Amino acid sequence: MLDQVKQKSKEILEKKEADGVLGLKKGPWDVIHPHVFTTPAEVDSLVLEPKWLFAKMARAILREKPQAWRLAVVVRGCDERAVVELVKRNQIDRERLLTIGYACDGNQAKTCLCSRPYPRKLDAGSAVEGVDPLADERVKAYLEGDAAERMEKWAAQLKRCIKCYGCRNSCPICVCVPCKLEDDVWVERGVVPAEMVSFHLIRAFHLSDTCVACGACQEACPVGIPLMTLQLSMREALRKDYNYEAGLDANRKSPVLFDFEKEPRPGQAVPDWVDSMGKKP
Amino acid sequence: MSAEKGNVKILVFACRWCGLIGADGAGRKRIELPASYRVIPVDCAGYVEPDAVIRAFASGATGVAVLGCHVGGCRFNDANHPALKRLELLKTLLDTTGIGGKRLLLGFGTAHESHQYAEMIVDFHREVEGLPSMASWLHIAE
Repeated sequence: MLDQVKQKSKEILEKKEADGVLGLKKGPWDVIHPHVFTTPAEVDSLVLEPKWLFAKMARAILREKPQAWRLAVVVRGCDERAVVELVKRNQIDRERLLTIGYACDGNQAKTCLCSRPYPRKLDAGSAVEGVDPLADERVKAYLEGDAAERMEKWAAQLKRCIKCYGCRNSCPICVCVPCKLEDDVWVERGVVPAEMVSFHLIRAFHLSDTCVACGACQEACPVGIPLMTLQLSMREALRKDYNYEAGLDANRKSPVLFDFEKEPRPGQAVPDWVDSMGKKP
Repeated sequence: MSAEKGNVKILVFACRWCGLIGADGAGRKRIELPASYRVIPVDCAGYVEPDAVIRAFASGATGVAVLGCHVGGCRFNDANHPALKRLELLKTLLDTTGIGGKRLLLGFGTAHESHQYAEMIVDFHREVEGLPSMASWLHIAE
């Protein structure tokens, strides 16, 4: 698989389809770091492990470079979905970005609880079946039980937050400037641990219809809060209600941005009135 | 764990074309209502971003109600459709974390008359009263 990716990268650079290939490089002393390969000879030091998401980095590079400069990125399934989400938000110009997609292996999919461990545009490797994250024990523990029990469980987890903003910074899609998490109106600054309701729920809700379930937030968290689990139920709700999954189709925007005529709920009539307590007016 | 009884604070975001008319009418008719709620008038339910609802919970509200027009009867074309979709998604998040989607009342097209509004607030007050306390989320130092 690595050879296929290298081959493809070299082709792209030789044919001048892109001016650079963004990927991981094994440098001197075996240090692995992200690198923009610009010559075919350089591509020999390209590696694929460990998991590294390039979507946000690609956006930053493209912003720095002149308009004619094009970039190719080596992506996994989750990374490609993140790129698609950034394209939808006009953060990346799709004309200037190529992707070299490769599939993750089964072990990686199990570690990440990934339901789609392969990109849509597959250039290297063969796709393996994903796992259902909601069926996993690690996730179930936080989604089951009655409300009071879950509240205790989550409060105990979130209480450990040291407010390093790692979840926000590592997220391939969190790109807003200014960020609400740095604004006194929404979240009090300089308080550790973070104000639990506003900090965590605002962060989680902002990604509700954007989260591609890459798990970067969870991996970045130094105290190990299961942050991706917060997103899974909202992803599931969108999939069930609107048959929508973030990052699959660059032409379909989030259904919560549109009215019921444009983005109806399949199988459900448009309600005339809504009362969440379930009483008739 | 104690219940919220005696500690109920309800914040109502009322759309000025429906919910607020109901609230005004309830006041004018001197209908007896729990003293636990405060109303913030908004021009449309579409203005109420979910972050504002989250912020209300963080500031100590035990329940938040968002009252808007009929789903087909918004004064600003279809602005309340996405509002409804967003807030229902927020309910999912509140349910996941155990805060409880029941703390968020969505009333679209159900509160434009004073007696309907009064009934709704009384019912909501009663429902929130019985929910488990949010203290473990709010008081971090303890």
